[in-house]
Amino acid sequence: MNSAILSCTGLDKPEGSVAREVAIRMASAAGSEIICPVLLNRSLARYKKVLAENPLIVVDGCSTRCASKLAESLDLKIDRKVLVADGLKSSGLTLEPTLNLGANGLALAQTIVDGLVQSLTAPVSAVLSTAQSTEFPPPREYLVVTHDKFEFRIPTADYWFNENDVWVRPLGGVARVGISDYMQQSLTDINFVDAPAMDLTVEQFGELGTLESSKAVFEVVAPVAGTVVAVNPEVISNPTLINEDPYGKGWIVELKLGNWPEDRELLLNSDAYARSVKHKAEEA
Amino acid sequence: MSEATFMGVARDKITWHPTIDYDKCNFCMECATFCPHRVFEQREGDRRLVVANPNNCVVFCRACSKTCGPDALSFPDKPATIAQIKAIREQESVQ
Ligand code: SF4
Ligand code: SF4
Repeated sequence: MNSAILSCTGLDKPEGSVAREVAIRMASAAGSEIICPVLLNRSLARYKKVLAENPLIVVDGCSTRCASKLAESLDLKIDRKVLVADGLKSSGLTLEPTLNLGANGLALAQTIVDGLVQSLTAPVSAVLSTAQSTEFPPPREYLVVTHDKFEFRIPTADYWFNENDVWVRPLGGVARVGISDYMQQSLTDINFVDAPAMDLTVEQFGELGTLESSKAVFEVVAPVAGTVVAVNPEVISNPTLINEDPYGKGWIVELKLGNWPEDRELLLNSDAYARSVKHKAEEA
Repeated sequence: MSEATFMGVARDKITWHPTIDYDKCNFCMECATFCPHRVFEQREGDRRLVVANPNNCVVFCRACSKTCGPDALSFPDKPATIAQIKAIREQESVQ
């Protein structure tokens, strides 16, 4: 698959230089079309064709995420993302403190390129499972919490919540996980889902990926312990599905439950979560 | 959160809040602008940003650290915090 790649300019920190290096190496390793962020910012028209024809990879150096924010401000659809600072942490390397990359910086760039090339060539089934074994009926009834002109819906039964606005709906030995109506409204339109890897095992309150909107990066805090058995392919290709139907089609992952019903002890039922939402809405 | 409790435990008994590494922080104030819970406050002097209201921080939230370019914000260990919460809950249900 061909691709377009937009990276940080690499003139502020060493992490940025790595991001820039990743773009250059992706051009030779995978034929990616490099998009210069400065030129893009001046003239979207210059890259219209490239962007229309290729999935976009965005490489940010640090959490300031200038490249992502630029893409978001221009309403570009992002296919996948890399944050060099995260890659650095998982690599265990120490980056040389200069903008000219040293051996570690170059090694990190190559590791990131290898990962990207692999993910571009991997079959989709290795990344996401589309086979859903269980039918999860949509909620039948909702409680509604109102605040000013806002209405926040909460299913009356079958859903449990943590205080971090993530729900879990268990059924048999598996469960779906997503975010609440209140959180999707606080985030506004979600434009990127960084899903957890298949087969990842998480503890209760561990991290199950992140969601991004123009307002925030939201960490999905696992409401239960379990192993990821499916990632919703529809929210990956169309993240605003989470905004449209947060408790139904906008589910994010399916877990094989690891410690249910014990985990329920630290979760809220619908009534308790409704009180929590009311309190948060009033505070905000 | 119902009146400063988290999962039934008084919020001030739970240790969870960001810590600013002043060797890394460049005082861009992204975190303070981002967090709606008034955890951070700006001050006069060298340390222009402080964690003024640590107990306003939502337990297990780490969102502001994802806005921090220099990676200057750190949080406690999650499993340790969970163990702490569970221990307090147990203690209180025994009484
Ligand atoms: S976002 Fe990071 S660098 Fe900026 S003020 Fe906050 S702690 Fe400091
Ligand atoms: S972790 Fe969340 S609640 Fe706590 S200070 Fe950061 S943004 Fe605010």
